[in-house]
Amino acid sequence: MLEITTLTHAYAGRTVLALDAWQVAAGEHWLLLGPSGSGKSTLLHIVAGLLRPSGGSVRLAGTDLYALPAGERDRRRGRSVGIVFQRLHLLEALSVLQNLALAQSLAGQPVDRRHLADLLSRLGLSERAAAKPAALSRGEAQRVALARALVNRPQLLLADEPTSSLDDDNADRALDLLTGEAKAVGAALIVATHDARAAARFVRHLTLPKAT
Amino acid sequence: MSALALAWAFLRHRPIEALVTLCLAALAVGTMVVLLLLDAELKGRLTRDLKGIDLVVGAKGSPLQLILSAVFHLDVPTGNIDRAQAEAVANHRLVARAVPLALGDSLAGFRIVGTTADYVALQGGRLAAGRLWQDELQAVLGASVARRLGLGLGDRFVGSHGLGAGGGHGHDEHPFEVVGVLAATGGSLDRVILTAVESVWRVHERKPGPARTGIGGIQPAEARDELTALLVVYRSPMAAAVLPRWINSETSMQAASPATEAARLFALVGFALDAFRGFAYLLFTTSALGLFAALYGALRQRQYDLAIMRAVGASRWRLFGQLLLEGGLIGLAGAGLGLLVGHLAAWGLATWLAASQQVPLSGLGWQWQELLPAGGAMLLAVLAALPAAWRAYRLDVAAVLART
Repeated sequence: MLEITTLTHAYAGRTVLALDAWQVAAGEHWLLLGPSGSGKSTLLHIVAGLLRPSGGSVRLAGTDLYALPAGERDRRRGRSVGIVFQRLHLLEALSVLQNLALAQSLAGQPVDRRHLADLLSRLGLSERAAAKPAALSRGEAQRVALARALVNRPQLLLADEPTSSLDDDNADRALDLLTGEAKAVGAALIVATHDARAAARFVRHLTLPKAT
Repeated sequence: MSALALAWAFLRHRPIEALVTLCLAALAVGTMVVLLLLDAELKGRLTRDLKGIDLVVGAKGSPLQLILSAVFHLDVPTGNIDRAQAEAVANHRLVARAVPLALGDSLAGFRIVGTTADYVALQGGRLAAGRLWQDELQAVLGASVARRLGLGLGDRFVGSHGLGAGGGHGHDEHPFEVVGVLAATGGSLDRVILTAVESVWRVHERKPGPARTGIGGIQPAEARDELTALLVVYRSPMAAAVLPRWINSETSMQAASPATEAARLFALVGFALDAFRGFAYLLFTTSALGLFAALYGALRQRQYDLAIMRAVGASRWRLFGQLLLEGGLIGLAGAGLGLLVGHLAAWGLATWLAASQQVPLSGLGWQWQELLPAGGAMLLAVLAALPAAWRAYRLDVAAVLART
């Protein structure tokens, strides 16, 4: 599903990421570990097609992501990759429902109201569909961010530090939600974290060394 | 969720900036529209009134004043002219038609004009009711006069001396009878009360003589009889070279060319309009700068929104287009509101001017040229959005998203 070979990324002449080979099969759950500054976010951005690496290749579902024209790469990301950011980045100008609808239409899909309603109800957000992000609790906002990442039934779900700034209970709940939803849509899941609490829940670990 | 709905949501999220730029754009477009309407309507009216009149003959003085008083019924006359001299002009072989005008009285600010039936024909008038005057002290009302004063066939009124509203003493002993009402022409004919030249003389105690010869059917009277002006239609183009010079040098009257004076009037009015136009351009510039600042300045706050849009599948061009669309929407709304405001202002101005009975304008006309400022506002709005759109296009998504 995801195949990475001889990947390197340098920033301002300094290598921030070097990864010889990594393969993620469909539906696998991976934990991406490493101290801060080890390039976890960078790797996620590269995998998502948001950041062209300095060297190496990223194949997503058999296609070399960075050999695609930029517009096609954007489209591919919209349709097959869902991302949950550490800072959730919900669009403040839009309601919860509109945030989801936007993700659907920007990926080039027709807005499917029933699908959106189902998704919201599954995540316990039905009551909040019309609310603006500013009115949500942290937990609600996180579920909306997850819902937005799941809207287009991605093959690959990426989460960047989903448990930072959460207490143990909430961190557990956030991880339950992520793994549960990834399973529900059959998506491969990559969770980047420096949070040791998550380690025990994942069988597959990839640890990035601190860049030198 | 369509690009339009998204743009609307973004604009509504920051309503103050959007509204301020919208109002500026509307003001700019509105000012231009008012100018266009006034300019076009003024020119249209003046041109219509002047149509068919080759020369205006009156007492010496300012030629512009002569035209204004005799053709547009706006200014006071330059004085009176001698009837015998006027007749000499009227009987000149190069003159096809000469229409006499005798002014002096008014009713509630509307002028009573002593003239002949030729005047109605010359100004393109048509009876809406009744007939033209046949005898002294019979009057035919212009459409605005009848409507505003509520006078109709058979009604009687007395004129007052002088041309201003409410000025002068009344001529109580000589009441006029309304025998006809003219259909609206949109010209100055709407604002006058027409009667026979003899009526004006009669009211002023001049004695008409018995025979019926002379210019335009005016009864010959004593030599001291006077007219205010003469509207002349040439028999041949050659008259333009001969008649004015002859009148100006050989008689105590002056001849003024409506075409020349109108051009001068347009130039005077045009100067004022140009000044306003400059003001409108200033407003356009201000609104464009305001829109630029609003969109560009908001980019910092919006960079996460834009980055997220990219992250969920939007291309660079989509972001570029999205920002142009926001600018264009403000431009479109500003243009629409501006057209509305412009027409309302022109209508208000026209109503105000009509109340003063000086320059009757409707403000309700529609000029295709209005599309120019409206389209200009939209184009300018899109241009003002370009820098912000370009920055959005260039946005380094990964760098923005990595920022915590």
